[in-house]
Amino acid sequence: MSDRVARMTDVLISRRHFIQGTAAAGVTVFLAACSGGASATNTPGPSAAASAAAASAAAASAVPSPSPSPEPATPKVVTGPLKWANWPAYIDLTGQAAANQKYAAGSSPTIVDFEKQYNVQVDYEEKIEENNSFFATIQPQLVTGLPTGWDLIVMTDWMAGRLIGLNWLEKIDQGNVPNCVANLRDPLKGYPWDPNNDYHYPWQSGMTGIGYDSTSLKNAKLPVPTKIADLWTLPSDKVTFLTEARDTFGLGLLKLGLPADSTQTTADNLQAVHDDIAPLVAKGLRFVGNEYLQDFASKKTWAAFVWSGDLANSGSPDQHFVFPEEGNMVWSDNMLIPKGATNKYTAELMMNWVYDPKIAAQIANYVYYVSPVKGVEAIVGQLNASSPIPAEKLPLLFPTADIVAKQHNFESLSSDVEKSLNSLYTDLSGA
Amino acid sequence: MTAVAPAAGRRPPIHWRRWIGVSIPYLLLAPGLIWLFVFFIYPSIEMLRISLSSGSLDTGYSLTFSTDAYVTALQKFPHQFGNSILYSALATTFTFLIGFPVAYTVAFKGGRYKNLLLFLVIAPFFTSFLIRTISWKVLLGDEGPLLSFLKHVVHVVPDGFSILGSPVAVVAGLTYNFLPFMILPLYVALEKIDPRLIEASQDLYATNWGAFRRVTLPLALPGVFAGSMLTFIPAMGDYVNATLLGNPQTQMIGNVIQSRFLVLNDYPVAAALSFILMVGILVLVVTYARALGTEQLTG
Repeated sequence: MSDRVARMTDVLISRRHFIQGTAAAGVTVFLAACSGGASATNTPGPSAAASAAAASAAAASAVPSPSPSPEPATPKVVTGPLKWANWPAYIDLTGQAAANQKYAAGSSPTIVDFEKQYNVQVDYEEKIEENNSFFATIQPQLVTGLPTGWDLIVMTDWMAGRLIGLNWLEKIDQGNVPNCVANLRDPLKGYPWDPNNDYHYPWQSGMTGIGYDSTSLKNAKLPVPTKIADLWTLPSDKVTFLTEARDTFGLGLLKLGLPADSTQTTADNLQAVHDDIAPLVAKGLRFVGNEYLQDFASKKTWAAFVWSGDLANSGSPDQHFVFPEEGNMVWSDNMLIPKGATNKYTAELMMNWVYDPKIAAQIANYVYYVSPVKGVEAIVGQLNASSPIPAEKLPLLFPTADIVAKQHNFESLSSDVEKSLNSLYTDLSGA
Repeated sequence: MTAVAPAAGRRPPIHWRRWIGVSIPYLLLAPGLIWLFVFFIYPSIEMLRISLSSGSLDTGYSLTFSTDAYVTALQKFPHQFGNSILYSALATTFTFLIGFPVAYTVAFKGGRYKNLLLFLVIAPFFTSFLIRTISWKVLLGDEGPLLSFLKHVVHVVPDGFSILGSPVAVVAGLTYNFLPFMILPLYVALEKIDPRLIEASQDLYATNWGAFRRVTLPLALPGVFAGSMLTFIPAMGDYVNATLLGNPQTQMIGNVIQSRFLVLNDYPVAAALSFILMVGILVLVVTYARALGTEQLTG
């Protein structure tokens, strides 16, 4: 018996046969791939680049004109669990999770109360660190028409505009979100990329300005920055700008006295900002995302472009946010329902839930960003009656009129300007 | 086992069992081959096709066999290619210098603590790669354990001195993250060495150093080769360490590919860069294998 088995396997694979077989298979696949690409058919390839490129041709041919077609109404059945992706430090937390600055199941009163009210589970994940990298995780599925696995996501306005242009979002049934319709603050209405709120409702709004560590600056005998231009006078290896190119270049434009809004910005203006920042990069300037929080904590960074809420709710008493004299950038992060979401009605209920002024006040009181909901200021005042919010931090939640007057928004840029913005930014960041 | 020899001059009809015998090796390899095909060969061919295409994300890509992407990729990023090669080579060298004594000690002097010591080598890997790299930001921070000691206790560096955001931090992060990949293959190779060979060399009047240089080191070469490959190749494509611990001057080719792909949506150039990186690493590996001597690598 063993003799027979030995004889069966005594033929070794010869190298020639193996190479011949592999070469034949490889050539076949290459021909198939070439012809498949030329005819622009959808093949769910195993690599993101492959499927994105192959099927983007199909998606491009299917890009719709923005005419709203009547969608069938969502059945009013609460299904779960609701899969919700959000940015870190963006929802109210209590207990150990608040101390760790990281969401854990059951640590958010907003979510816990929602789960009790509607008897459905919510899977909240702080999955979004950057718009581009999260977009890359959902793009392969959306391009091939598959569900992304998310019911609710939160993206900054320019990325929301891009998703709407690609027709990758579900239309919101306005009948299911009466709180949103009634309570959305007027300054946040009428965005050119979705004027009727068919696809989005703002989650929080925020501002980009300057953050600094007072102790480090005092030890180095340097003045506290009040203008964007002051950051050019500090040692560049102790300063960071943001990887979010719109924020960095927007503030750079304001420093040079150039207009920073989508209609007036030209590629030449952006080039001027690039040339202004380039000497700082040579002297050690870095570009970071939310990591500036850790850099401030480790005293590696003394001053930086920061997002308004972060230092207020996560920073130490040494760290301060200041609205630059030249002006600041305002942006909003928006709740969106990606196409193919399995629990669309539950997502709409959640949108409606967080636009209840009491819930919105609860969230704003923790995250220190600007709430999109009317009537929050009074309730926040009541919540903090025993220990009111310090006067320095109040404008972060409720910006005063003079700050609002100097706000600028880089909503959707034309694709040429956006291309030159991105290529100038990658040139500065060295990658 | 008796060999079956056909009668001279006559070919017998091939028995169906023989077909099974011939195909069994291929069937056993099939799962591995399918995995390799689906996750490596097909994506590589798609990547090749995209690198020769032109177009954009909005208008779609069409295969035009244009080499513009390759021209851009080769001309525009010499600094980043140089960084990748330099940092990976440094990281491989440092992991070898640190890892060889560790592997040697565990293999020859470990005794009954071998398993525990090996576990300690791998234990950090139970934490995620990203968390371990971020923790280096704390360790190398301006007022972190290392620099506060050097600045305030020993006073050898000025107060404004900073390691984070420099090539030193990037190489340190790479070395740390790939250290087990060097230690484990070295340990395996050293463990296989028969200690009697070293005794024999000492009987023949070799000094300790002589025995090490002429017996232990050559026999450990397969482990050195495997460890270097497992360290150098992933380090060349790494982008996490350069992002978290570096600055715009220390960007590696992995960062360039990431930004072409994610930020600029310039897929042809990203694909061309990936291909060039793959071919470049292959050339370096073959050269290295030749230099070491391929007969010695199979042990």
